[in-house]
Amino acid sequence: MKAVWTIAMKDLKLLGRNRAAFFWVLGFPILIALFFGSISGGGGKSAPLPVAIADLDRTDYSRAIVERLLASDALRASVAPLDSARTLVRKGDLVGYIALHPGTGKSFGFGGDSASGIEIGVDPRRTAEKEYLRGLVTAATFETMRGSFSSGYGKRQIEENLASLRADTAIAPGAKARSQEFYRSLETFLAALESSGVGGGSPAAKPAGGGPNIRVVEVAEEDTGPRTAFEVTFPSSIAWALIGVCMSFAISIVSERVSGTFLRLRLAPVSRAQVLAGKGLACFLASMFSVTALLAIGVVLFRVRVSNPAMLAAAIVCAAFCFTGVMMLVSTLGRTHQSVSGAGWAIMLVMSMTGGGMIPLIAMPAWMQSISNFSLVKWAVLSVEGAVWRGFGWGEMLPVLAVPIAAGLVGIALGTRALQASDR
Amino acid sequence: MSAIRVADLEKSYGTLKAVDGVSFDVARGETLGLLGPNGAGKSTTIAMVVGALRPDRGSVTVDGETDPTRPSLRARIGVAPQSLALYEELTAEENLAFFGRLYGLSGARLRARVEWALAFAGLADRRGDRVRNYSGGMQRRLNLVCGLIHDPPVLLMDEPTVGVDPQSRNAIFESIEALKREGRTIVYTTHYMEEAERLCDRVAILDRGKILALDTVEGLLRAHGGSPTVEIVFAGDSAEPRRPDLAAFGGDWDGPRWRVRHARPNDVLQRAMSGGDAFSHVSIERPSLESVFLTLTGRTLRD
Repeated sequence: MKAVWTIAMKDLKLLGRNRAAFFWVLGFPILIALFFGSISGGGGKSAPLPVAIADLDRTDYSRAIVERLLASDALRASVAPLDSARTLVRKGDLVGYIALHPGTGKSFGFGGDSASGIEIGVDPRRTAEKEYLRGLVTAATFETMRGSFSSGYGKRQIEENLASLRADTAIAPGAKARSQEFYRSLETFLAALESSGVGGGSPAAKPAGGGPNIRVVEVAEEDTGPRTAFEVTFPSSIAWALIGVCMSFAISIVSERVSGTFLRLRLAPVSRAQVLAGKGLACFLASMFSVTALLAIGVVLFRVRVSNPAMLAAAIVCAAFCFTGVMMLVSTLGRTHQSVSGAGWAIMLVMSMTGGGMIPLIAMPAWMQSISNFSLVKWAVLSVEGAVWRGFGWGEMLPVLAVPIAAGLVGIALGTRALQASDR
Repeated sequence: MSAIRVADLEKSYGTLKAVDGVSFDVARGETLGLLGPNGAGKSTTIAMVVGALRPDRGSVTVDGETDPTRPSLRARIGVAPQSLALYEELTAEENLAFFGRLYGLSGARLRARVEWALAFAGLADRRGDRVRNYSGGMQRRLNLVCGLIHDPPVLLMDEPTVGVDPQSRNAIFESIEALKREGRTIVYTTHYMEEAERLCDRVAILDRGKILALDTVEGLLRAHGGSPTVEIVFAGDSAEPRRPDLAAFGGDWDGPRWRVRHARPNDVLQRAMSGGDAFSHVSIERPSLESVFLTLTGRTLRD
């Protein structure tokens, strides 16, 4: 094992010193991920938030809020029933929903009990989007309220509400007094808005209660799809990382054979199997490093989620093993750099094109997905996607992992056999 | 017991017989040269001796063991391949340490051997430089010591001076002479007759996969080298017609220049001087391995 480790460490050192090879192993896949991720919409930071609006109040006031939200550049909003909106958020198709419950118009969105007022539904992990949405809804409510006062609707509604309060004997005197105080302060606030001509007013002028009655409801997403384009492109780009490592080592084997260092390795008191195992171990470790580094960059900088880290680790190990076998086989496709490089890249490009390295698996038409079954890249990418955003269970993942393991074993067996035969 | 015994080795590539019934013994501490032109079968023979190639026929015995692929035997053999078998992106020190580890060296022993090898190759002050920045001669020297890192008693060197400048070549010769003095058994392939003459105790002349002759350099010269050649250039207008007394020796005249091959060159010189003519040039050329090869094959080593 010491000899195997010695050979592997030497190869990794050589790879580290070969800037061109290192670029293909790590730099190029990152560029691919960033390029396709960016042109596919990227992380969605600056894009309008997709939301649904459910108007359950159906008053002029609530309709005015809906109109403002639909007109907002910060939102890609559509009107939907509340149940549908919740479902779409749960599936991850929407960032959130906004529900205007009955009573919103009567209370201007400020009052009412917990069942009335305005509701925002969003995944609890989307903390930034939650606050952003709250701000947008608050602004829309204030704007609507100001507009309603200008149109006379607000003033009339306040007067109606105050009259209704006075006539209502069922309300406790304390609660009645607080409600009356709220409507009076609201009237004062709206008058101030009207005279200043600015939205929102100063904090001191805001009505009692501090702001609209907005409550946030947590709607956990079911993780059934990629949340950002990077969640698709980073797993896809591992194909390039694996191909880069595979080709680097395949060419390094033929380089060693051409230059004579392979002969020196074989003349050392180590078995041929140990020499090849050393090569394979180096390729395996480099593949693991490359894929892990790539996904780490995706997770840290581009908010790629990993739904199951243990599954991802298994996927990386299997993918690295698979391409170690491919490397062994590719290295026997010729006796010169040119022949191995030419044949190797030809095979790799076809596997990448059909396996999700260029067109993401999720975007492939059905006929292409059928073809992709013959590409080892597909199984490597699919296993990583399964752990990242497809939400695979182990029952789904194990058959997917079996393919790269089997391919790796076959590649190692055939490659080793061919290498040994070619040396005789 | 011989350190190396090769018996009736054969190796073919398709219809080409690269090695055809090669046999030789190398005694302990002896340096055997395999001299022949490119394609004679020298490297193929070496490859079979070290177990890198499997012979079609014949046997190899090194240190009493008949399987040169056995790790225990390989640890006792050092090889300097013809092509530069070095990692260009590693330093000399890293190359040596890597190959040393493969031979089971570690710790203080590995460090000591690396230091020895760097000093032996004259590369101690360039130890930290990557090999790709070395001159051809430095790379050749490193290539040689990489095969010595594990201190093997048996060395096989396949044309270790190919493509190096005269200075580095001389340094390599001196290194090999030092190894000889240490009592190592060496098989040395070359197509330079001067190297074989200088370094080898015995020389096997190889051509087209066969050993044509194997003996000491003197023995080969005696048996196949022919007579020495005397060359005299007479001063003034001396010419053949004025020296009929030399006609008995034969030879060729080219104006005042006379060249003749004779087993006893002193007799020729004495006869030439007896006429009282002045000479502007006199030389006696000993037969060389080149002439041995010419005699044996009808071709020169460079053909």
